[in-house]
Amino acid sequence: MDAAERALLEEAVGSALAGAAPGADADAALAALGWLEMLAAEPRDALAVVFEALGATNGSATALDDVVVAALGGEPRTDLAVLLPTFGAWSPPGAFADGRVRAAGLATARVTTARELLVVCAAGSEVRAVTLPASSAEARRVAGIDPDAGFHAVHVDSSAAGDAVDADGWESAVAWGRRAVGHQILGAGRAMLALARSHAVERVQFGRPVASFQAVRHRLADALVAVEALEATLGAAADEPGRLTAALASATAGRTARTVATHCQQVLAGIGFTTDHPFHRLLKRTMLLEGLFGSTDEIVLDLGRQLLVARRVPTLIEL
Amino acid sequence: MEASGGGPAIADFRSDLHAWLDAHRGELAPPFVEPGTLDDQISQMQRVKSLLFAADWMRYGWPERVGGLGGSPMLRTELGAALAARDLTDPGLFSLIEVLAPTLIDFAPPALAADVVPRLLSGAEIWCQGFSEPSTGSDLASLSCRAVPDGDPATATTWVINGQKVWTSLAQYADRCVLLTRTGPVESRHRGITAFFVDMDTPGITVRPLEMINGVREFAEVFFDDVVVPADRVLGEVNGGWSVAMAILPYERSSCFWQRIAYLYRRLERLVEVVPANDRNAEVVGNAFLQLHALRARSRATQHRLAAGATLGAETSIDKILVAAAEHATYDAARRLLPGVIEIDDRAEAEMWRSEYLYSRAATIYGGTAEVQRNIVARRLLDLGSDE
Repeated sequence: MDAAERALLEEAVGSALAGAAPGADADAALAALGWLEMLAAEPRDALAVVFEALGATNGSATALDDVVVAALGGEPRTDLAVLLPTFGAWSPPGAFADGRVRAAGLATARVTTARELLVVCAAGSEVRAVTLPASSAEARRVAGIDPDAGFHAVHVDSSAAGDAVDADGWESAVAWGRRAVGHQILGAGRAMLALARSHAVERVQFGRPVASFQAVRHRLADALVAVEALEATLGAAADEPGRLTAALASATAGRTARTVATHCQQVLAGIGFTTDHPFHRLLKRTMLLEGLFGSTDEIVLDLGRQLLVARRVPTLIEL
Repeated sequence: MEASGGGPAIADFRSDLHAWLDAHRGELAPPFVEPGTLDDQISQMQRVKSLLFAADWMRYGWPERVGGLGGSPMLRTELGAALAARDLTDPGLFSLIEVLAPTLIDFAPPALAADVVPRLLSGAEIWCQGFSEPSTGSDLASLSCRAVPDGDPATATTWVINGQKVWTSLAQYADRCVLLTRTGPVESRHRGITAFFVDMDTPGITVRPLEMINGVREFAEVFFDDVVVPADRVLGEVNGGWSVAMAILPYERSSCFWQRIAYLYRRLERLVEVVPANDRNAEVVGNAFLQLHALRARSRATQHRLAAGATLGAETSIDKILVAAAEHATYDAARRLLPGVIEIDDRAEAEMWRSEYLYSRAATIYGGTAEVQRNIVARRLLDLGSDE
């Protein structure tokens, strides 16, 4: 996809999602745009454009399920939901033994409408993907900090119906999931910064816009630096796809979410502390997104352990 | 500097270069125990440059009219990064060629550039950059070192320079200096500045090295007392020196940064090679790695934009902020991972970490302070308006 095509796609997706209310409307808007066809034909651009738009508009779509299914080598469809790892974790959410699947994890709102649920399981030293009737899972809506996100806590304890297949693709699923969530945080981060910037330029105190005070300017500058660094790591993860580049992008996303939210909330001051202003939705959503496929702290610790075992520091990306 | 077509593909160049560096490992290795003195480091750098120039590696990415072999400037970047990653030269010293040679290539009379640039590349000469002054730090346009023509500026045959520069790296070693002078009234700011290429053995130049916080005398004060410079040593236009100074930015913010990044990766790797594998250390290592990777990803994107023909500008202040923060983070990690080594240990290895740790504190100061970079981001990228 060239730059002009990408800009057109951004505009189409952005305006479609901006008009969608939280919840199922975002799924409908994406379906109308041909999301699944886009994901199959241009996965890199589709992922970036759609998830950044979801982040910017605080949209609650279930497209993450499709990304994971595709990364596992399956055929994404709207009646197939995916069991995601529990908050902060990235190991397969299920265990498969003696013809039974036991699993616990999170799922998007699709779990309530889908016919089937895909559960990736550790099975001894192997990983298997098991497709179960969605009705065999116990799904409970979790409101948490962001009820609009539509997440469910899911438990499965069921004899394994359907065929178990090898799924070496779990690492790939985690990598694609992390990239999707990273793009969503990037979109939300840019949106928070745009809100804080407008406020700083318009809000007058001591006879001048607060944007003229260097302390305020430097906070917003630091927020932009974090956002741009995140965009660069997501670009690197797309150019050199792999476990490590995706993990680094994901950890950068989590850190960026906190940096940007902290600076923007401080600049927004009183109004950002109210539910009259849209900032709170972006803050709450990114707090939730940060924990999907692992938290920054856990990923950083894991990366550090890997480097200390290998006794080297891989450069990963070249000119 | 003109773009050069042709030349080898980056990936081929990189693998051929590393094969050659492997084959010549013994010849290239520093003949002293790290960190060595500054004299040791300078002679090592010049020796390595001369070997690389003779084997042509030092000529790729430079235009043919100054003794180069053409090809993408990214080839030079790969070379500098490879040397840094192998601890063969200090990237801070080596990458000075990236801010000096392009100035001559773009702004000197062609015959002068053809004569002198090969001497810089081959390690025959060292040059320095006379920009900062005692009262001119971040506010470069306020500089006051004065150059006066012998008559009409347009037809003058010589200029006489009086004033002082400071923080001039390697001035006491330098054969030449790219010098910014005031040629208009002080209130003309950036419009009244002219750049010169000055021979450092010209009568009237006095160099007084300054000892840095790590005990190294890398930079100096340079005094100019009635220094006579021929008019054909003007770089660019008279009163056009600001463009000369600003033209350095794309090189400093691409190639120099990439070399610095390679060096920081190597420094983190040296820590990872020796520290105990426990979770406390893993967290420190992981965080430093995360910061270096984000910086590397950003710098790579910037260089791809440059190679695609983009003009680099204010957005590279983001690269600069990330480089400075990553450099601090890498050496903060060293201090945590090597308890007591920097503070109370007299082995040579400890002296290296101590010296580099102290030097790393300058990362948020030189080349435009961290605060100036944030001001640029706020004004130019976030469009926050005036700060008054």
